[in-house]
Amino acid sequence: MKATASACILAAALLSAACGEGRAIFNVDVYSFLAGSGNDTVPYAVPPASSVDSFTVQRIVLPGGFGSSIVDSVRITSGGANLVTSNGAGSIGLSLYVASDSAGTHLPAALALSVPATTIPGPGSVPVVITGDLSPGLNALFTQDTLWIRIAATGTNPNAGPLIGKMGLTSLQLRVVMQDKIF
Amino acid sequence: MAASARPARAQFSLDARRIGMGGVSLTRDGNLRRYNPAYRAVKNRPGSGNAKLTIPVPLGLIQFFHDHPIGKLGDDPMFNPDSAAFNPVELVNLVFNLPIFLEVKKAPTPTNDVEFTIGRNAFAIDMGAAQVLIPEGEFGLGGTSRLLDIGTPSIKGFRFSVQGFENHDIAFLLGDSLRAFLKEGDSARTNTTYNLLGDAIVQAGVAPTLSFSGRVTGRGTDNDDGVYLGGAVRSYYGVTYYRADGSGGFTTGDTLFGGPNPVSPQLEALTYRDNGTTKSFGRGLGGDVGIVMISGPLEVGVGVNDIGAKLTWQDTRVDSTYFDNVGDSLVTTTVRNHVESTTELPVSYIANAAIRMGTGTTVGGDIVNTGRGTVIHIGGEQRIGMLALRGGVSRDQRKKMQFGFGGGLRLGPFGLDVGFWTHSNSFADKRAITMATSISLY
Repeated sequence: MKATASACILAAALLSAACGEGRAIFNVDVYSFLAGSGNDTVPYAVPPASSVDSFTVQRIVLPGGFGSSIVDSVRITSGGANLVTSNGAGSIGLSLYVASDSAGTHLPAALALSVPATTIPGPGSVPVVITGDLSPGLNALFTQDTLWIRIAATGTNPNAGPLIGKMGLTSLQLRVVMQDKIF
Repeated sequence: MAASARPARAQFSLDARRIGMGGVSLTRDGNLRRYNPAYRAVKNRPGSGNAKLTIPVPLGLIQFFHDHPIGKLGDDPMFNPDSAAFNPVELVNLVFNLPIFLEVKKAPTPTNDVEFTIGRNAFAIDMGAAQVLIPEGEFGLGGTSRLLDIGTPSIKGFRFSVQGFENHDIAFLLGDSLRAFLKEGDSARTNTTYNLLGDAIVQAGVAPTLSFSGRVTGRGTDNDDGVYLGGAVRSYYGVTYYRADGSGGFTTGDTLFGGPNPVSPQLEALTYRDNGTTKSFGRGLGGDVGIVMISGPLEVGVGVNDIGAKLTWQDTRVDSTYFDNVGDSLVTTTVRNHVESTTELPVSYIANAAIRMGTGTTVGGDIVNTGRGTVIHIGGEQRIGMLALRGGVSRDQRKKMQFGFGGGLRLGPFGLDVGFWTHSNSFADKRAITMATSISLY
């Protein structure tokens, strides 16, 4: 049935292709996929004097039929998260990985964007802005109808007590610009 | 605006004179004789401009093959889908505007960006200027043709013949949800059907016809003044027909993206066809009427075709076809068999008027409906010695005004004519201009 899932998308793609040298632009609300499946929160618990990765993985469905298209750019146009810490201090860095399957998101080559570590002064909420262009080497993945995204929170705790909290994503919008070729 | 997404059916003529007058014909031929049986009794007016032969000068073809060398069509961006410049709309426009005449101003092809908004339960399209490609109203094509006309010579105005007829009409309409999605940028919704409604009929057969056309007043005079009547009674023998009504599209699931079953195909259709096994004919009676009145410089006429042409098919099979989402296949079942059904041929008509002034000026107009929309042409010609100046306007099937102008030079039996014509035969919201050229032999 998955093949039929592309029916409306293919129609839209045909219309898009009908626009000649115009580009197809996809504004993908990644957050809606994460929130819809409860994967929009990444808890972190970093023991004293250590560094720990926590992550969430999500499958994203995109319009099919763009396998021959050329992706010009992929950018996070709007992204944000709150680092809500209940105990301790330290820093949290965020990383976004993209791959064609779940396992692939754990490979270093899947790193699409790194957000510099944010200092956590203590318990409370610290907002983080997530924006920027994704690694061009991963652009071709966005011509597929399914891809996987892993959002990792890397916690660093130089202190004596544990760093405990959670990263709650508040928005994540991707803008994919491609020269559409569906034939 | 509603219909601007679709090209107008071409009111195509190979005669630059007619094109220069916005599509009107000031001679007693073409549509007048086809749709008004009374005109078959009216002689061509001496010196009226009826050419024995009109040959189009295909400047458009020369230009086309200059721009698209025939040996390199495989690599031509217009025909090569692998090219970044390939544009399906341009290709469709080429079909609607066969490049026989020179297109001096092409309708712009939309090349804007198209934006998709995608979320787990959101899917919207902003097509920008390309939105004009989406038809808001019904779109399709149709018409009735007389495929052959074999019969006796006219005896005192009466003639018996056997005519072949063919009628086709195919119409589509975007369903409300699909129209809102494509035309208004509305987001797709869960558990909603997005479909295209379709209605198509094709029928053909033969019709023994008894027709009359004659002059009922003014006989014996040396001019054409008088009243002419024409009519035909036709017995239709439909040989075959096929009709389908239905819809096709898809129904979204509980989740637009990411769910196990994002969309399910939707197809429902009822099809009607005559049972070929019994070889029964679709029977019906109908006819044509026409009248022409000529008084000095003034000439008016009205003709109506296929009046009451309702065919009864005694042996019809009705099938239901639908897409079975469980079996993931098309299922066709016969709903009724050996039942009676009826079809109709659309009534077509023409009304025309022309007046010839003594100063070399002729103006005229006509209203034509061939079963799928009314077209109005009004135009005129001013002759000044060897020269002719022409102009006209028309309202096409999309109710859009079009304009024509042109001129001609006649040297004895030869005439060279040029006509410019605006048209909306392209997938665009702007008019294009065609320059037609033709040579006539008188």
